[in-house]
Amino acid sequence: MTRSAPATLLLLALLPVVPAAAQRPASSIVIVTGAESSMPIPTLMEGPQSNVANFEVADHLFLRLANLGPGLVTAGDRGFVPMLARSWSRRDSVTLVFELDPRAHWHDGAPVTSRDVVFAFARARDPAIAPKLATLTQHIAKVEADGDHRVIIRFTHPYAEQLYDATWHVAPLPAHLLAQLPADEVARSPFVEHPVGDGPYRWVRRVPGEFLELAADTTFFLGRPGIDRLIIRSVGDADARLNLLLSGQADAMDNVPPPLSNLQRVAADPDLRLVAVPSSTLGFLLFNQRARRDSTRPHPILADADVRRALVLALDRQVLVRAVMGEYGEVPFGPASPVLWIRHGAGTPLKQDRTAATRLLAARGWADHDGDGVLDRNGVPLALGLNYPSSSGVRRTMAQLIQEQYRQVGIRVDLAQSEFPVYAERRDAGDFDIDFSSTVQDPSPSGLTQSWTCAGGTNRAHYCDPAVDSLITGAIASQGDTRTTWRQVLQRIERDAPAAFIYAPTYVYAVNRRYRDVTIRPESSWISLWRWSAGPAGARNQAGY
Amino acid sequence: MGRWLALRVVQALLTFVLALTLLFALMRLAPGDPIQRLEGERPMSKAEIARLRERFGVDQPIWRQYRTFLGGVARGDLGTSIEYNRPVTAMLLERLPATVLLGATVILVNFTLGIWLGVRQARRRGSREDRLLTTASLAGHAMPSFWLGLVLAWLVGVRLRWLPSAGFSNPLLGPDAPLSARAGDIAAHLVLPALTLILVTLAGTMRFQRAAMLEVLRLPYIVTARAKGVAERGVTWRHAWRNALFPMVTLFGLWLPLLVTGSVFVEAVFAWPGLGSLAASAAGNRDYPLLMGTAILAGALLVGASLATDLAYAALDPRVRLS
Repeated sequence: MTRSAPATLLLLALLPVVPAAAQRPASSIVIVTGAESSMPIPTLMEGPQSNVANFEVADHLFLRLANLGPGLVTAGDRGFVPMLARSWSRRDSVTLVFELDPRAHWHDGAPVTSRDVVFAFARARDPAIAPKLATLTQHIAKVEADGDHRVIIRFTHPYAEQLYDATWHVAPLPAHLLAQLPADEVARSPFVEHPVGDGPYRWVRRVPGEFLELAADTTFFLGRPGIDRLIIRSVGDADARLNLLLSGQADAMDNVPPPLSNLQRVAADPDLRLVAVPSSTLGFLLFNQRARRDSTRPHPILADADVRRALVLALDRQVLVRAVMGEYGEVPFGPASPVLWIRHGAGTPLKQDRTAATRLLAARGWADHDGDGVLDRNGVPLALGLNYPSSSGVRRTMAQLIQEQYRQVGIRVDLAQSEFPVYAERRDAGDFDIDFSSTVQDPSPSGLTQSWTCAGGTNRAHYCDPAVDSLITGAIASQGDTRTTWRQVLQRIERDAPAAFIYAPTYVYAVNRRYRDVTIRPESSWISLWRWSAGPAGARNQAGY
Repeated sequence: MGRWLALRVVQALLTFVLALTLLFALMRLAPGDPIQRLEGERPMSKAEIARLRERFGVDQPIWRQYRTFLGGVARGDLGTSIEYNRPVTAMLLERLPATVLLGATVILVNFTLGIWLGVRQARRRGSREDRLLTTASLAGHAMPSFWLGLVLAWLVGVRLRWLPSAGFSNPLLGPDAPLSARAGDIAAHLVLPALTLILVTLAGTMRFQRAAMLEVLRLPYIVTARAKGVAERGVTWRHAWRNALFPMVTLFGLWLPLLVTGSVFVEAVFAWPGLGSLAASAAGNRDYPLLMGTAILAGALLVGASLATDLAYAALDPRVRLS
């Protein structure tokens, strides 16, 4: 071996290899996201596949009959935007008739017909194939074709969200490609590897662990997309995502991750702009009303509604939100994230009032009898455990601030941080006093049934107020204006204080300034991307592609 | 030789099965449920959870799950990932090239450079160069790889934009691009993660080689060689280095599993789509089939490396008998 050989080898290995000249086409966009989409096919996004990454990619590939309008109102027949259906009409209180746009076609050239709609609904309503979708569409009695371009959907009973149920949950599938396949084989069929849709973008390729590429359908019947090439790059690590954006390897990023300094770094880049979007996320402290690990007994402290109210009053939630989210978050009123249309005018969250909190607790016998700084009653200290997952930076930081705020009124909070699977197991087993929960809400308020009614499937804290149940049932069943009823639901839940509703974040997206007509939607971030257009690519060095 | 090899293979297989059994049991005894975790922030009904448990077999007693797992392995079927709902074997094969590329590059550069520098240090023991190289290599060794990775990604990728800050390839470069362009692109993406791993691991190789060389350089036959007038380069590389190579063979055997698991943090920081990050996410998600799949691959590699090391010893030193 010569003296210079190893040095030469090293030099060759480490020298910055000039990347291939990949001239960025003017109309391409690279979006960097945190999760990888592996099965963006309607009716297959169940269980593990029921995630935002899949839904958002599916929204580029497959068209719904109609989309939600700007107000995100899910009740009634107005405010929706025609997509695959160019119009709809109501035959009676339980029947909707959709006229499909005859120009619509699948990416293989076949026309989209009413048969495709009927086929997709048949799959979606079969609990053996799509249990979640079957539940969401349970009030649909029948879907039938009337000719090639008319679909009639009948419901089991009159209610406010019929149009929403008929349009939002199920996007039609190409029956000519899938009808011959047994339902349980679709997930393993070539269709999953190369889906054929009818949306503004068609499938090009997936490079596992790296990215997914879609191309504009230049013959899209609602207008040619303004950006020809769409790359969705999945990167799990938040720092790596941010570096891709700041180095120019990506043009857009969803939900710039905390801490706030990340937002400042993005804002300082002259090529990028921040776009704030109301989120469907809600963070709250859930008060367990049954004893830990024994749901047959009431919780010794939290079963008392006055104690729960005191716990809400003791918190300065505004300070919590400002400290962790800056201007990109708010304190919600009741269990309503910013995507729920029912929140407008429902009320304003209670401000911190330590005096009132202390008074409420004193009235229930809680005082610092032994002078140790912690309230007690009959020798039992007012001490509660707070469970939260280590995976959430927001909750991790807030938990410590909450502990301190409670300490100031004499409530001891023991923090219990655990990794997500352990956290979820404890939460579902009822093994908690206070659970720092976070939920992603659908645009429909009927989803509140799950967590905030007596028999709700995910009512883990055993909150039960028959009046709330009755109001929710009434609001869902009504075909009139249900705003007042829904507001009453939120007000009643706020009064019962089954939880302290802490934060409703505003998601902050970063988008390169060369894109025009940028709209990001709360219910599905990139659903309007096909309407964007791209200006010329800026002068970038090679590393930034 | 044949008998020895057969015995070693049986021994290796037993070790392998034992390790897999332990991992299988530990994963299932650890708190945290793989199906409940899937619920994330979108509630699932109890019926849906029950259906998923049945589908992935986690509703079965642990011994039955183990039996099913072993049966699958025997048939070459590693099951379906709970998180991705895809065959584990296919997922491992997709990730293997990136892992092998990174691991092989690191090992190649590490050993080439580490051996050369280690020998140089030994020959100049106590010199300023020796002290400088020791300090520099130990400084690299002392740096956590994820921290160094973050700094390099930010400095070289974001601030200077000399190299891609993350990823394996440029997605805008289509599959129909010339091979040379694609190779250059991947090489550019490879530099930072490889450099990070090399900087934090180089010290070990250098120190091992330096110590081994110092041992050998003291031996009488080296004095004899010099007395016979053999040139210094010949003394170093032909006479001393060959005998100082044994510890490096051991080290090489220990390093090989790096191909699969040794770069979890670096893969994350640089969004390198390899097996390490896949294994880490599988452990965090309690994705039993995927985790066992990566464990099988890592275990096979470790056992294979151990066997290869023994064989290399025999090849290098005729005094070692394989019996």
